[in-house]
Amino acid sequence: MVNYFAVGEPIPRVDAVEKVTGRAIYGNDLFFANMLYGKALRSPYAHAKIVNIDVTKAQRLPGVKAIVTGKDNPGLGGEALKDYPFLAVDKVRYVGEPVAAVAAVDEETAEEALDVIAVEYEQLPAVLDPLTAMKPDAPLIHEALHTYQHIPVIKPIEHTNICHHVQFLKGDMDQGFAESDVIFEDTFTTQMVHHGAIELHMAVAQVDPAGKITVWVTNDGPHRLRNDLAAVLKMPLSKIRVVSPPYMGGGFGGKGGLKVETLCIALALRSDERPVKMVLTREEVMTSSIVRHPSVVTLKTGVKKDGRLWVREARVVYDTGAYAEKGPTVCQQGSVAAAGPYKLKHVKVDGYCVYTNKAIAGAYRGYGIPQVAWAHESQMDIIAHELGIDPVKIRVMNAVEEGDISPTGQQVLHSVGLKECISRAAEHLGWEKKPDQKNRGRGIACGFKNTKTPSGSSAVVKVSQDGSVEILTSSIEAGQGPKTVLAQMAAEELGVPLDRITMVSPDTDVTPYDASTTSSRTTFHMGNAVKKAARDARDQLFAIAAPMLNVETGELRVEKGEIYVKNKPELRHSFAEVIKHQYGAGLDIIGRSSFYPVVQRETGGMWSAPSIFWMFGAHCVEVEVDPETGQVKVLKAIGAHDVGKVINPITCEGQIEGGLVHGIGPALYEEMLIGPKGEVQNTSLLDYKICRVLDVPEITPLIVEATHRDGPYGAKGIGEMTVVPTASAVANAIYDAIGVRIKDLPITPERILNALREKELNK
Amino acid sequence: MQKIINVIVNGEFYEVSVKSNMTLLDFLRDKLGLTGTKGGCETGACGACTVLLEGKPVNSCLVFAVEAHGKDILTVEGLAENGQLHPLQEAFVSEGAVQCGYCTPGMLLSAKALLDGNPNPTETEVKEAIAGNLCRCTGYVKIVKAILVAAEKMRRRN
Repeated sequence: MVNYFAVGEPIPRVDAVEKVTGRAIYGNDLFFANMLYGKALRSPYAHAKIVNIDVTKAQRLPGVKAIVTGKDNPGLGGEALKDYPFLAVDKVRYVGEPVAAVAAVDEETAEEALDVIAVEYEQLPAVLDPLTAMKPDAPLIHEALHTYQHIPVIKPIEHTNICHHVQFLKGDMDQGFAESDVIFEDTFTTQMVHHGAIELHMAVAQVDPAGKITVWVTNDGPHRLRNDLAAVLKMPLSKIRVVSPPYMGGGFGGKGGLKVETLCIALALRSDERPVKMVLTREEVMTSSIVRHPSVVTLKTGVKKDGRLWVREARVVYDTGAYAEKGPTVCQQGSVAAAGPYKLKHVKVDGYCVYTNKAIAGAYRGYGIPQVAWAHESQMDIIAHELGIDPVKIRVMNAVEEGDISPTGQQVLHSVGLKECISRAAEHLGWEKKPDQKNRGRGIACGFKNTKTPSGSSAVVKVSQDGSVEILTSSIEAGQGPKTVLAQMAAEELGVPLDRITMVSPDTDVTPYDASTTSSRTTFHMGNAVKKAARDARDQLFAIAAPMLNVETGELRVEKGEIYVKNKPELRHSFAEVIKHQYGAGLDIIGRSSFYPVVQRETGGMWSAPSIFWMFGAHCVEVEVDPETGQVKVLKAIGAHDVGKVINPITCEGQIEGGLVHGIGPALYEEMLIGPKGEVQNTSLLDYKICRVLDVPEITPLIVEATHRDGPYGAKGIGEMTVVPTASAVANAIYDAIGVRIKDLPITPERILNALREKELNK
Repeated sequence: MQKIINVIVNGEFYEVSVKSNMTLLDFLRDKLGLTGTKGGCETGACGACTVLLEGKPVNSCLVFAVEAHGKDILTVEGLAENGQLHPLQEAFVSEGAVQCGYCTPGMLLSAKALLDGNPNPTETEVKEAIAGNLCRCTGYVKIVKAILVAAEKMRRRN
């Protein structure tokens, strides 16, 4: 057992004081001299040809400096599949799509200009339902799908609305079903959900006299954004600079890809080098940023009488809306987990990512896995009750373990704490002792979550002449705590107190490459990079200090910003003394490192290899249902999560608590309502209900540590996994309470009352 | 139309000309540069822009700047005194009640309004006091705890 002084300690966040004093700077707090303000004119139609756009009146308004339309579109962007124009070209594909944008001296003038831009549309038939959109005779949303560039793992089906089809196959399906004792087939659906970060989307863009573009934007992948922009604009990477404001006010996947930055850049390219700022309104965030994919998941599962899962066939349809965004890779990541974290002999998964004329769906905490977990964990309960096996026991019986082949057959699993998560969550709730009260019930659900693989992270650790430390990474602080946990790791390796460390905010001109702050990958990937970079800096200091102290470097140790001899701790020098000894006129010590996982096989870039780690978790809830009104109250919620090794218990617990509540919202309350014309109907936080404090149950976070051989100190990730099993745990508890099974999210009072009525009729 | 208003913000007197349709939120951020107060919804739904107006919590996005004329305003920047964090701020730090931090200023001011009038609140009273402040990160657990910890600390101090 290694003793750490910083890693694993409940250290208060390094950014907390800035945040409680109001000094923390977010994107919308950025102001620049001579700044213009941008606004976008958006489509009122779900699908329509743009016949004409007349901007002449708007151009004449005093204070209007630039107007852009689809004619100014530089090309098509997108991370996995390049289908996304900066502004709609020739036709619109969803309500809220930008058709024109204006930069003016103030927001009011920009809005006035939008009012006098005349757009003539010719409506086209819209396709709102993903299953309809998959039919051969459905109107095509992207006629040119077959011409779009995409990364190798993405497989669009030409001349259809299917922008990605993925299949995973293990074993023999016919044999599997023939050998099964009982076969279950169920279809489950999930709704459109919004990320609901409280901070609005923003960007500021400016073009300098040499043509270099700088964009200040709350984007969760500054280097990824730079790559995307360079590809569309056909510019060298070094001519684009992405600067992250120090803090992001919540992201959850909603602030990545190409969003407001594209409009802002299109305007900045025509604004005589003046900076252009755009902040979306809440309504625009709801209609025109991104959402979580609605889904339709059908599971056909064969089991043995004793409860062993034997064979599972999954058909997963993700409704990605008008543009692919991250949909294809959401489909890829979700489908690979669609069979659930279970020992299955035979598995077949077909995942489809389908265009519809609706709001764009993309990355959202969980990346396609909450949808499939809703299905496999609900069906697991159906199976348990049908076979008369306890829901906890049937999960433990089937749960994957260290060394198992993954459910879809791609890899051997390592660092698997699933059984411990299930049993600890159940034990904490007192699973064996059922509640006495009527209409109360308990539910359990579990799951697993992968990380995009392979993906790289680089870090620089700089020790300045006074011995203070700066860490340069491109990891985004969106609340999940990378500034704190990365600083803890550097502190551990360098033996310096945390207050001596400064985390530098991402700036692609300054901080090195990182794939993105997504996919629960930062602690693992950037953690490895920072850890090794800190060691590199330490080793350089040791090389100077060893002759000063007349010892070999192997005898040196660090603590409190000093280097000392292991067996003679009184022999020591501060970092400052060591640096001054070698570089009297002044120099920095620069530690550096890059981390790129060693993968079993790589067939071509992003998402092409099996996940380098899997997170596991289980949620137990207790609910009370009012059968008169259909209201559900979650009374208790327990989340047990295998994080590999906890780096900071406070931030880790915070992820579990926050994730549990973030899961209760979509389970019971949240749904983006789509009107008959394809429009989002609830575009304010008054009408779209995220959990308030009064909706929150008694919550217990539990941390399980199945260390990972490649993780820094054995750590994996946590962020996304915490939202995966909540909805099905709630549904399973409702079944336990009142004996009705809800298969469609959210579990509204109407759905409960309808199910109760049906149950009465079938008596 | 422009109007001149006099306000006291965090103990400082300001005389400023504002458009009559400017919100108190925009006034604080754009005119005074006090960007600690955050906007999130424009409709009074999220509570991120909560400030104290004459000691009472208001959504500053729903108040016109001209309505604050002659009044006293407290924002998050005014919570600490003489470089010493307010007990609520200390507790938010020590209890881990901060994640992205965007809702934090509003939470702190709603909590301060509660504790100013009720130094010994129950957990339910704490929850009711911040029921209008949305947080998407924390699940509220550590926020509620921090407010209770701060209340106890303030009682002991007095």
